[in-house]
Amino acid sequence: MTDTQSDPFHRLYVESWAPEYGASMEVDDGSAAAASVDPAVETSDWRPIEGARTDAPREMVFVDGVRRIEARLTLDDPLEGPVPGIMGAYGVGAVIWKRAARRSDFTGLTVERLVVMAKGLAVDVHRIGALPVTAESVPGDDASALVSHLQQRMRAAEGALASALAGPGRLVIADGPFHEVRAQPVVGYVKTHRTRYLDGESGALIGRLRAGSRTPLFLIDSERYPRYAWYLRLADLPGHSWTGVVRCEVSAALGVEAAVQMADWTAGLLPGLSSAPHIDRRAPQNLVPIAALERELRKCMGDQGLAARALRSAVRNRRLAGIGGGG
Amino acid sequence: MSEPMERRGIPVGRVIASQHANTQEFRVVLNDDSYLQLDDLVMLETEVPGAGTVRTYGVVTESEGIYEGAQYESDTFRITEEGILPAAKIRSARVSVTRVDPELWVAPDPGVEVYRAAGEQRDKALYKDEMGRPLPVGVGRDQEPVYADLDFFDGRKGGHMSISGISGVATKTSYALFFLRMLTAHPEILGEGAANLRVLVFNVKGEDLLWLDKPNRYLDQEAVDVWHRLGVEPAPFKSVRFWAPPRRRSGDVILPDTGGRLEGVDAFAWTPREFIDEGLLAFLFTDASDHRNQIGFVEERVRAQLRRWAVDVAGEPGAVVLRAPPPGGHKGAPQAVPERGEPVIRSLSDLVEALDEYLDPPDGSEPDLAWSGRTQTGTIAAFMRRLHAASHRLGHLIQAGESRRVDRTAAQVTVVSIQSLHDLGQRFVVGALLEETFREKEQTGRRLPLSVIVLDELNKYAPREGRSPLKEMLIDIAQRGRSLGVLLVGAQQTASRVAPEVLENAALRVAGRLDAAEAERSEYGWMLPSTKARARLLKPGTMVLSQPAIPVPLVLTFPFPAWATRQEEAAVQDDPFQGL
Repeated sequence: MTDTQSDPFHRLYVESWAPEYGASMEVDDGSAAAASVDPAVETSDWRPIEGARTDAPREMVFVDGVRRIEARLTLDDPLEGPVPGIMGAYGVGAVIWKRAARRSDFTGLTVERLVVMAKGLAVDVHRIGALPVTAESVPGDDASALVSHLQQRMRAAEGALASALAGPGRLVIADGPFHEVRAQPVVGYVKTHRTRYLDGESGALIGRLRAGSRTPLFLIDSERYPRYAWYLRLADLPGHSWTGVVRCEVSAALGVEAAVQMADWTAGLLPGLSSAPHIDRRAPQNLVPIAALERELRKCMGDQGLAARALRSAVRNRRLAGIGGGG
Repeated sequence: MSEPMERRGIPVGRVIASQHANTQEFRVVLNDDSYLQLDDLVMLETEVPGAGTVRTYGVVTESEGIYEGAQYESDTFRITEEGILPAAKIRSARVSVTRVDPELWVAPDPGVEVYRAAGEQRDKALYKDEMGRPLPVGVGRDQEPVYADLDFFDGRKGGHMSISGISGVATKTSYALFFLRMLTAHPEILGEGAANLRVLVFNVKGEDLLWLDKPNRYLDQEAVDVWHRLGVEPAPFKSVRFWAPPRRRSGDVILPDTGGRLEGVDAFAWTPREFIDEGLLAFLFTDASDHRNQIGFVEERVRAQLRRWAVDVAGEPGAVVLRAPPPGGHKGAPQAVPERGEPVIRSLSDLVEALDEYLDPPDGSEPDLAWSGRTQTGTIAAFMRRLHAASHRLGHLIQAGESRRVDRTAAQVTVVSIQSLHDLGQRFVVGALLEETFREKEQTGRRLPLSVIVLDELNKYAPREGRSPLKEMLIDIAQRGRSLGVLLVGAQQTASRVAPEVLENAALRVAGRLDAAEAERSEYGWMLPSTKARARLLKPGTMVLSQPAIPVPLVLTFPFPAWATRQEEAAVQDDPFQGL
C-alpha cells in the first residue's frame, strides 16, 4: 500500500457526473469456456430428465448479492497526477425457504461500503459521515478494475455466506457461476448464457426441454473449478428455444451421485419459484425469493443519494474521519 | 419518560415511521403479541425539544393489516400458499387524536411506543379529569364507563340532546331512557339540579314506555354487571306517572285509551275553560301548510275573542258560555246561568258549533266582523273546515268537568301516551304540554328546577320546512330553554328533516344506526368519516356520542333496560298477600 502524501484529503474530489457514467457496469465474471466438457458423466443417453422432489431438503437457501457505485472520486496526487477511485456498496444476504412451514425469511443480511482507489493508492478512511466505509486499492488505473474489485468482494461475501448456511437438510442456491471449489451442497445458479458448453446432439436437447425437466449432467473439467453442470427449463414461455433455461453447477468434488440428486431437486423445485414475466423483467430466471432478497438488500444499502451526499459533505468539510497523520 | 410503566399502560406497538403522523391522526404498528380494536384508547409520549414530554391520547378508528414485501396482489399466493416470498405480516391501527397534554399541538414522534390507555390514562383520554360533572352515559368497548359532561346538558355550558337513528332497532328511545335513568340515579353528579327534577316523556309509538315502573324479567347477569359498572342499581324508574287520552265514547266513566295497561294510567283532558285560557286553539293549526295562508290570522283573532267572551257556567266546572263582554271586559270570575237556548260549551264540538254562529252563520248571513276581521270568506271557510276536522279527531281531549290535565308534579317522570291519537291530536297534546312547561319556567325565569322533555319523531313536530306554532315553540325551547332549564331530548329518524335550529342547539349528539345516504348529510358532520362508515352497521345498543368536551365522537354501548318495554317483559310481581 503506497503511503499518501501529507494531508491527501485536501486533494480528494467527488466527480459531479453520475457514478454510472463512463464505465460499463457489466463485469466479466471470468467464467471462461472450459478446457473440456464431458457429457457422459451421468448417462450417455441424452434425453430430458424430469425433476423430482423425493427426499428434497426441508429448507432451500437462496444466496445473492447486489452492488452499486455511489460516487466517482479523483485524488489529485502530486506524483501520480489524478488517480481515479470509487465509492461503492454491496449487500449480500439469503432467504431461507422453509418448505414445510411454507414461509420464507431473510437471514445474514450485510452491507459493506468501500472506497476503492486505483494505482495502489489507499486513503486511510473508515467513516464518511455516519456511514462506516472500508478503504481499499487496486493496482493500475483502469476504471473497470475498480468496479470489478467491488464485484469480487461481493462474490466473496456471497461465497462465504453460502458456505456458512450450507448444512444437512438444506440445499443452497447461490447466484452466478462458481469461482472456487466447494465440496458443499451449494448449487451455482446461472441465469445468462455466455458460453456454449454443449454442441451437437447434446446441445440440441436444451431447446427441447420442457418446464421442470433438465439435461443430464456434464462435467466442466476446468483446471481451477471442475464442476458438474446441467441445464433446466423453469417455465414454458413464448420466445426463442432457450427462453426460461438456466444452468446449474455444483462442485465436482461432491461426486456424481450427490450431484444427480441435487440436479433432480432443482428441476423439481425451482420451476415453482420462477417469477412471472409481468412482474419481473428477468422472468422466469430471476427466482421470486431472489428478487425479494435483492429488493431487501437495496433497502438495507440505504438511499444512494443520501450516501453520496454524506460523501460530498465530508469532502467539502474535510471531515473524513480517520485521516492518517502526515507522510 | 421517567414514570413507571404501570402509569403509562401496556405497550401495544409504535407510531409508524414510514408515513407522516400529524396532530389529528397517526398509525400504530402493533407488536406481535398485541392488538387494538376499534374504539380502543391509546396514549403515547413525545419528547418535544425545549418543551418536555407531551402526552398524546387517541381513539382507534380503524384496524389494518398487510404483508410487507408483497408488491403485487398475486404475491399473496407466493407468500401464503408456498411461502416462497419472504414477507412480514404487519398489523396496524389508525388513531384519531383526542387530546394532547399539556396542550402543545405537535405530532407524535415516529417510532415512539404506544400504550393501551387504562385507569387514569383512560380518563385523561376521555377528558374525564376536565369534566365539571362527568355522568356515565354508556360503556366503551373495554366495558368501562364513558362519560358526558353534565355541564353541557343541564344548561350551564350547553343544553339538550339530539338522537338520530333509523327506527325499528328501537335504540333512540331506549337510549333516551337509559340516559334519563343515569340522570335520575346519580343525584350526586347532577347536584342542585337533582332536586325537583321533572321529566316529561311522550310515548309516540307502541306502548313501549308504559312499563317503565316494572322490572324487566329478561334482564340477565351480564346486563346487571354493566349497570353496576355504571354505578346504578338495575331497577325500573321509581317515580313515574302514566297519562293517556280518554277513550272515545266511554260513557260517563272516563277510561285511559291504552291497550295493554290500564292500571296506574290516568286519562287526561282539558276543559273548555282551560282550552280557552291557555290559548290551546293555536295547537289545532299545527300543519305546516296552515301558515301559508291567512288561517293563522283568523285563529289569532278567534283565540283573543274567546278569552274575552268566555264566562264560566254556574254548577258546571270547566264549561263556558260565550257572552259579549261589557266595555272593559268581564270582571273577576263571573258565574253565568245559561239562558234558555244559549249554547253551553262542554266540548270541542260545542265550541265549534258556537263559532259557526259567528263565523259561518247557518242562516247564510255575513260573518260577525268582531270575530272574523276583514278576512276573505274563503279563508274563514278553510279555518272552520279545519276546526271541524279537529273536533272530529281530537274532540275527546276537551271535556267539561273536573280538571283532568296532566299533573307534571305528581312524579319525577311523567309519561304521556299519545300513540293512539291522530297526528293532529299528537301535535295538539305535545304543543299544549310544551307550552305549559315552557311558560311555567318563563314565569319564574330561573334555570332550576330542571325540566327535561323527551320527544321522539321530532321531524313531525319541528320539520325542516314550513312554519307552525309547535315548530316555533320547539325552536324557542332549543334556543332559550338552556337558560330556563327546559332541556329537550329530541329523537328523529333523519336529522336532515328536522329544523336546523333545533339540532344546532343540542350540545350532546347521539346517533344509532343510520341509513347510509343519511349518514353522508351535513347534519352528521360531527362524525369522523370512519364513524360514518360504521354508522350503518351499528347494532342495537351501540351509539355514537359527540359532546363539546371531547373533540372526537365516541362509540359506546348501553345495557339492556332494567325496566320492561313490553307487557310480556314486565316481571310477574310477587303477590303481596302470599303467605297470609
